[in-house]
Amino acid sequence: MEQQNNEMVKFENSPPTGMQVVLREFKKDKLAIISFLGITFLIIGFLVAAMFLNQEEILKIKLLERYTEPGVNGYKLGTDEAGRDMLGQLVIGAKNSILIAFAITIITSIAGIGLGIVMGYYGGFIDNLFMRITEFFMTLPNLMVIIVFVTIIPKYGIFELILIISLFQWMSTARLVRSKALSEGRRDYVSASKTMGTSDFAIMFKGILPNLSSILIVELTLNFAGNVGIETGLSFLGFGLPPSTPSLGTLVNYARNPIVLSEKWWVWLPASILILILMLGINYVGQALRRAADAKQRIG
Amino acid sequence: MWKTIVRRVLLMIPQMFVLSLFIFILAKQMPGDPFTGLITPETSPARLEELRIQAGFYDPWYVQYYHWITNAFQGDFGRSYTYKIAVSTLIGERGLNTFWLSLLSAIFIYLIAIPLGVLAGRYQESFLDKSITLYSFISYAIPTFVLSLIFVFIFGYKLMWFPTSGTVDVGLEPGTMAYYWNKIYHLLLPALTYAILGTTATIQYLRSEIIDAKTQDYVKTARSKGIPMRKVYTRHIFRNSLLPIAAFLGFTITGLLAGSIFIETIYGFPGMGQLFINSIMSRDYSVITALVMLYGFLTLLGSLLSDIIMSIVDPRIRID
Amino acid sequence: MKKNWLLLSVIFAVMFVLAACNNDGKEAAKTGDGNKEKSTQTEPNKEDTAKFPMEVKNEGDAIKGGTLKVALVTDTPFKGVFIPELSDDAYDSTILDYAKNEIFELDGDFQVKDTGIAKLEVDKDNKKAKITIQGDVKWSDGQPLTADDLIYPYEIIGHPDYDGVRYDDDFENIVGAKEYHDGKEKTISGIKKIDDKSIEITFKKVSPAIYSVGDGLWGYAAPKHQLESIPVKDALIASDAVRKNPVTLGAFKIDKVVNGESVQLVANEHYFKGKPKLDKVVIEVVPSTSIGEALKTGKYDLAEHYPTNQFDSIKDLSNISIVSRPELSYSYIGFKVGKYDKANRKNIFDAKSKMNDESLRQAVGYAMDIESVTEKFYQGLRVRANSLIPPVFASYYDGTLEGYHYDPEKAKELLEKAGYKDVDGDGIREDKDGKKFTLRLAAMSGSDTDEAIAEYYRQNWKEVGLNVELTTGRLIEFNSFYDKVKADDPEIDMFMAAWKTGTNPSPAGLYGEGAEFNFSRFVSADLTKMLEDIDSEKSMDPDHRAKAFRTWQEYMSKTATTMPMYFRTELFPVNKRVKNFNVDYANETKSALQTIELTADAPVK
Repeated sequence: MEQQNNEMVKFENSPPTGMQVVLREFKKDKLAIISFLGITFLIIGFLVAAMFLNQEEILKIKLLERYTEPGVNGYKLGTDEAGRDMLGQLVIGAKNSILIAFAITIITSIAGIGLGIVMGYYGGFIDNLFMRITEFFMTLPNLMVIIVFVTIIPKYGIFELILIISLFQWMSTARLVRSKALSEGRRDYVSASKTMGTSDFAIMFKGILPNLSSILIVELTLNFAGNVGIETGLSFLGFGLPPSTPSLGTLVNYARNPIVLSEKWWVWLPASILILILMLGINYVGQALRRAADAKQRIG
Repeated sequence: MWKTIVRRVLLMIPQMFVLSLFIFILAKQMPGDPFTGLITPETSPARLEELRIQAGFYDPWYVQYYHWITNAFQGDFGRSYTYKIAVSTLIGERGLNTFWLSLLSAIFIYLIAIPLGVLAGRYQESFLDKSITLYSFISYAIPTFVLSLIFVFIFGYKLMWFPTSGTVDVGLEPGTMAYYWNKIYHLLLPALTYAILGTTATIQYLRSEIIDAKTQDYVKTARSKGIPMRKVYTRHIFRNSLLPIAAFLGFTITGLLAGSIFIETIYGFPGMGQLFINSIMSRDYSVITALVMLYGFLTLLGSLLSDIIMSIVDPRIRID
Repeated sequence: MKKNWLLLSVIFAVMFVLAACNNDGKEAAKTGDGNKEKSTQTEPNKEDTAKFPMEVKNEGDAIKGGTLKVALVTDTPFKGVFIPELSDDAYDSTILDYAKNEIFELDGDFQVKDTGIAKLEVDKDNKKAKITIQGDVKWSDGQPLTADDLIYPYEIIGHPDYDGVRYDDDFENIVGAKEYHDGKEKTISGIKKIDDKSIEITFKKVSPAIYSVGDGLWGYAAPKHQLESIPVKDALIASDAVRKNPVTLGAFKIDKVVNGESVQLVANEHYFKGKPKLDKVVIEVVPSTSIGEALKTGKYDLAEHYPTNQFDSIKDLSNISIVSRPELSYSYIGFKVGKYDKANRKNIFDAKSKMNDESLRQAVGYAMDIESVTEKFYQGLRVRANSLIPPVFASYYDGTLEGYHYDPEKAKELLEKAGYKDVDGDGIREDKDGKKFTLRLAAMSGSDTDEAIAEYYRQNWKEVGLNVELTTGRLIEFNSFYDKVKADDPEIDMFMAAWKTGTNPSPAGLYGEGAEFNFSRFVSADLTKMLEDIDSEKSMDPDHRAKAFRTWQEYMSKTATTMPMYFRTELFPVNKRVKNFNVDYANETKSALQTIELTADAPVK
């Protein structure tokens, strides 16, 4: 009974956003479709391919194969200074980087959305309290604090990297959701649900959240792109993953050595191009999504 | 409005206080200390131990923190363990370098981003728009250091147009015109690199602002009165869309300060970002703490400034 | 469709730009291969660490004056403390090389010779040393160098407010130094001014180290007339006299400083060996990522602290000659066989420790393919070390030692004999009781190469059946590394590190019973005796000392608690316009800077 009412209220009040609009926007934008298909294909491709690779064999050091050029000895993308197959490393690296970015995006979204909605919905003291905490985290110079953290923890691998970055990346999502939830919370359908006795939880996550979905999708897509970037940056500063755990960041960072940059392009260029393609794809998809979320930006 | 500004400033005090506690404890948790780096057979371990005791590293953290915070209130942030000069002097010197770099970068960013953003918005979905969008996405995706290294090689060494390291040539007399020109000359290449990579947000923002504005009533009214499109753009849309960009100035500058870590490291540019990384490596506690505090303060100040500018340019927005 | 083309064309454009940067790279790669062949044909002599000559001479008539442009290769700004009493930084001291107040000159064995500003006379029976200024020497500001200037550095270092690292046990070897440091005395009682030109220092003990400026002796003078009025506490180190315009005895004097970036020095007309032929020296910090290109385009005449891992960037340059010399350092792998007792400041050897098995340690050594690592990863710029004394110390170095060359069969044999057998047949050996056996290695992080090398050694060990894991699972950052190694972290069985030896090779501070830096914690009665012998009064006789060094080296090689891995080579790229440059320790251009000349107005491109 309650459930039904709630559904009804939502139906009546939700603006015509959602999947249909997204689809419509995509249909109009071929580039977005190609990008979407492209990156989906790439991501799934790398994840699947990585499953069939023998990581230990790829990361084995073969001194005689040092800096083999692409195409020689069956190494399609050549090898690095330790004779490790670059194609294999690229696949494993892409898998790691994608998983890291995914994990961070998911963790920060859950935290950000949860907190944001609670703050926006309840307002008052809870809002105030959490807002101060959020503000505190926003004053922290992220990159710096992440670096300090990385030097402190005794063990440092993919898992720890994800947690540390997540710890300092949830705030913008939380703020965005809060402000939207704040305005959404004043709408009629919310007060209607309240008078009908719908639980707060249901209103927040079944009533308000779906109405924010389009904005959130945009936010998450762009966050995902940003998170790939953070990992690369940390590697550059020497606080990223070790070469024994290849990632796109560690591969691109081989270019820090000027000799590799100018003479051994096969070591770093493929990873760089892959990052470029992923970023472009995600951003084009994000742009189409944004248009779907904001009527004024639509084409035509 | 004054009331809110005062309130915000007052609110900064507890925020800074918590930040200081947080970063102080965090910094002390890092393995090693400023004297670890001095390990050679020629230095005696006993002497290093003595210096540690002298520096108070074995006191409980709250004692250390108390000493630090009471001094900090008097404007004394201690002495750098590596550079052995007052932290305020050191950061003052490096900070100034970074400030100039950020300022010039900001100017370049606006010089590049404003025309591109306006064009993209005005000719929405045209080939031009798409090229500009593509550029902005690519610049977002290229790792800073790759472009920097390529620029250093091409413009610094192949073409020899720009100096490749430092902030100023050593032989010049400070205070002369040549000296200042030389300083700017040293800033150009890093600032340009920085700007090329930093335009994405501004371009995208401006573009959507302009597209937004096109559907606004005032534009429709103006058009219906028969005012030519060009005039509508220069008189109305352009102005209205630029104001929020101006308001973001505060954020942009603090963002640039934080982002300078990469550029400074590659260009061998002695600024705050590079100082921070080096201080982490050498466990220069006093510098680490002071720098994080400074960045935190600037972030707060930047967001306050942006809010103030915003409320001035757009009276509908009230800051609180 | 149009859009795709756009995307593609941009990607191609990017690739094109990158390819453009590669252009000359390809040629270099080709010639690089050629070089490789050459180096494999002429098997380099393993004991000879110098791959390049120590001296370069370039033809051509010298120009008058000129400016020597020096690149200081580092990614951090220099500290800028320009007096040796307060400086503890390698880059500062490189800058100081051009303007240093050194009063002694050392020979090829790093023993004081008589040609310096001052002469050293040791009276070993009375434990005294007399230092005499030879001739009329003037500071760069024209003031005469006096005995007071020889005493002043001791008063700075010993000062109660002094907070540098030079005050240590060695310094307390001077009679009265501790009392002065504790504030009980106004002067150091053991240091006496004899006349305007000479002083006498009394020590608690003298050892052979005194001839290489050890035992508390200080090798520099300090300009008392300039520094006297500045308090040692905080003010001195921040003063202009230390950072901007220090008065010097060196060939050049500091003229202008841009903090952390560059220094301009001008010829010191009062230099005791005569006014330098050059007008100026300009030293600039250059990031390691671009130094190769900078040398290629002729921006610098000389690069100091050139990173050897970027040897490829300079090896084929036609405008550069490379000179090299062995570094005063060695890399080693150490095995934890005890603990440091902090309360009693003593190392305690633990006979029951996991690594206390000579055969195991030796097998670890034989299993390591150090030869390939030095050849492939270090391009011969490091060679396998056979001893804990670098060969530069010719009189002490034992060239006959075999060390632990790559011999996996021997490693297997040793392990088999010692009882480490593969019981369960998984290819990994179990310990003597048949239980799972894993060694944990701590290694320092640095470049990507370090990571690859550590992995390679782990593969080597696996081949002989030893399972080696990295402590913490990855390479450890410098500070944490020494924190863990120093604290005898139970997660560490063995560790890879390096020591710079300085000019006094006495091993007591690194392997003695009381030495905290004796990280392997190995102590034995024999060892203690040998170490004492090296620094004993008997060893004031060079022959005796040389013999004592050899005995110790052989003992250390056999017990293998600390195993030498590499000797390193230092590279100095020198532009062809520099008329001559010598880096031989015995005959360094750096100690005869007045002779440097240039043959062109600008560095050769």
